[in-house]
Amino acid sequence: MSELFQDLVVQMLIGISTGLILALVASGLTLIFGIMDVVNFAHGELFMLGAYMGWVFFTMTGSFWLGLAAAGLCVFVFGLIMQRSALRSLIGSDPLTTILATFGISLVLQTAAIWIWGPTVRRVGAALTGHIVVFHLQFPVYRFMVAVLSLAIIAGLWLFMHRGRFGLWIRATTQDRQMALAMGIPVPLVHTVVFGIGAAMAAISGYLYAPILGVDPTMGVNNILRAFIIVVVGGMGNLWGSVLAAVFIGVLEALAVIWVSPALAVIFSFAALIVTLLVRPTGLFVAVPR
Amino acid sequence: MREDGHDRRVDETMWRPGTITRRRFVGVGAASVAAAGALGAAMLVPSPWRQLFGAEKPIKIGGIQPLTGPAAGGGLMAKVGQEVAAERINAAGGVNGRPIELIVEDSEGKPAAGIRKTRKLLTRDLIDVGQGGFMSNVCIACMPEYRRARIVNMIGVCLDTTITTSRCDRYTFRPFDYAPAQAVAFAPYLVNNIGKKWHILFADYAWGQTTRDAYREGIENLGGEVVGTTGIPLGTADMVPFLSRIRGDFDGLFMIFFGKDGVNVVTQAYNLGLHNKYRFAGDGAAVVAGTNLPAQREKALGFVGIDRYLPIFQGPLDTEHHRKFFDAVFEQSKQYDPNGILPDRYSQSNFEALNVLKVGMEACEFRGREDTEKLVEALEDLQVYAGDDFPTGDRLLRKADHQAFTNEYIFEVVKGDGDTYQPKVLQVVPWQDTIVPPACQFA
Repeated sequence: MSELFQDLVVQMLIGISTGLILALVASGLTLIFGIMDVVNFAHGELFMLGAYMGWVFFTMTGSFWLGLAAAGLCVFVFGLIMQRSALRSLIGSDPLTTILATFGISLVLQTAAIWIWGPTVRRVGAALTGHIVVFHLQFPVYRFMVAVLSLAIIAGLWLFMHRGRFGLWIRATTQDRQMALAMGIPVPLVHTVVFGIGAAMAAISGYLYAPILGVDPTMGVNNILRAFIIVVVGGMGNLWGSVLAAVFIGVLEALAVIWVSPALAVIFSFAALIVTLLVRPTGLFVAVPR
Repeated sequence: MREDGHDRRVDETMWRPGTITRRRFVGVGAASVAAAGALGAAMLVPSPWRQLFGAEKPIKIGGIQPLTGPAAGGGLMAKVGQEVAAERINAAGGVNGRPIELIVEDSEGKPAAGIRKTRKLLTRDLIDVGQGGFMSNVCIACMPEYRRARIVNMIGVCLDTTITTSRCDRYTFRPFDYAPAQAVAFAPYLVNNIGKKWHILFADYAWGQTTRDAYREGIENLGGEVVGTTGIPLGTADMVPFLSRIRGDFDGLFMIFFGKDGVNVVTQAYNLGLHNKYRFAGDGAAVVAGTNLPAQREKALGFVGIDRYLPIFQGPLDTEHHRKFFDAVFEQSKQYDPNGILPDRYSQSNFEALNVLKVGMEACEFRGREDTEKLVEALEDLQVYAGDDFPTGDRLLRKADHQAFTNEYIFEVVKGDGDTYQPKVLQVVPWQDTIVPPACQFA
């Protein structure tokens, strides 16, 4: 089998799995923006906080799945408190205000993590340890498990938003905040809960990433930049747009690696971002209203 | 005295209407002004004996470390090393009878922030000597600041080769090893004991690039071959796109990384099964025992590395000096991790760098930045010996390029007691066997 064919298969696998993992990070970000118009610069630190929370419970119980549940739950509560105390009064004001507020929170969280847990990189054991051999490489099954789990969580979120009363409230608030308020929907509560859900999604993705990357205070910084690119390319506030954009960016970068250095492959993501902003500023995967 | 603090008699005599006269007012006022003036003068003007002996005025030593950002893990341990050294020096009476004051600023691991903080140290804090620096690109960016200010800059961690070769300058000293010396010490082991063909993976910035060049030269000089190199940008979280391209017929994968990147490269290369085909080896910074090994664990098993310091008590490191240093750093690190962190080469080299300064300052009776030229001369060709100040052993700070040479430890990561992993010394290369010719022309 030719080396090019092998590379194509390997890089497609890497691209799709990386894209789906990134989609989970980006989905929390786009959810928060879609409902509240808040560009959450602290999303990376919520990602990191989730990894630490999960690690704490994983260390205490030895159970990966309990760690996952604890990460989501703890950071969900933290998100509620953060939104209620620091962001609620800023909603509706100049977007720069919320950007600065969340940026400030991100710095506080990152420094707090260094002081609480120290600089040592922590490790969480993977839930699955097998490998699949693909040509010259062996792929950790865990990487595929995370990709599938990410897709399942996003699908669960979509079902939550399209079935049941609270989901209806969320969609109504997204469409028209004033009208939702007039119809008796508790918009402030919706905002708070949605922020909590977004924070929990960041936390879950952080914990799922932990066996791949290790846990340390700066782990959120790297992923958050790509998550922002995905959210813009997918359309701010568009959940499935973010998933498609994440896979698109993941595969684009992975295929580029066949011909250029992976360090240069990132340029393709930025090119996609620039093209999106120039051609379709609302996102590549958003239906254009007729 | 009443409860409200007012003295009754003064109230009555001074402030009762009609009792104060112009003469009393002028008299009391003049006396007050004279007393305040005398007090102020005493506070502002140094007394003659203070000026003579410099008593109590501290010698200010300042530097930058990455206390936040991707390199914060190592930066905090570097600061721990400085703090332990400063406390020891002050507890023993300071330098030339004066305490030292340590000022550490956060470089954030960025050249721009590093330059800003270095300027602050040099112009606002008015430090007498510089000591610190972690990331090579930041160190390189800050060297001209020290040169312009004519202040000694005792590097703490930065390993980029050019700092003491093509970019060397009169005021910058590196009191520990560098890549060419490491390569001279390690290349024979790599080629003779592991294999002749190597692929080098490196952190794609100043230190990684110059270290790659040093090892390439070292391996090729011994008849080996570097079949490929892969640079990975600093702070890359997912290295799979880079690692997935590595294939072919070679014996070992040589890794030049530090901090979190070290954890990622070892872990992810293992996860892709590269350890089944190639032997993992590299600079010891990739598997630093205190901060990285607990995360890498069995994935670093069999990694063969080289380092100037290991937190174990074997061979020349099995000394009372080393145990004292080890305990002090471990205790001090509890401010960042309640369980304590094992000492590493970052805490070691900063601890010893501050002690090199102490020896130099004592030798030239250093009083402050005005004695910088005397200090430079005292540091050139300074030979120091193993002891509490230098727990890793003797070294020479060469005059020709301000570069030191230290013992090097070739080690392998093995299973330790219980569920731990630790380095085991395979070979000690004495500092005399690591010397390479100087390649510096001072301006």
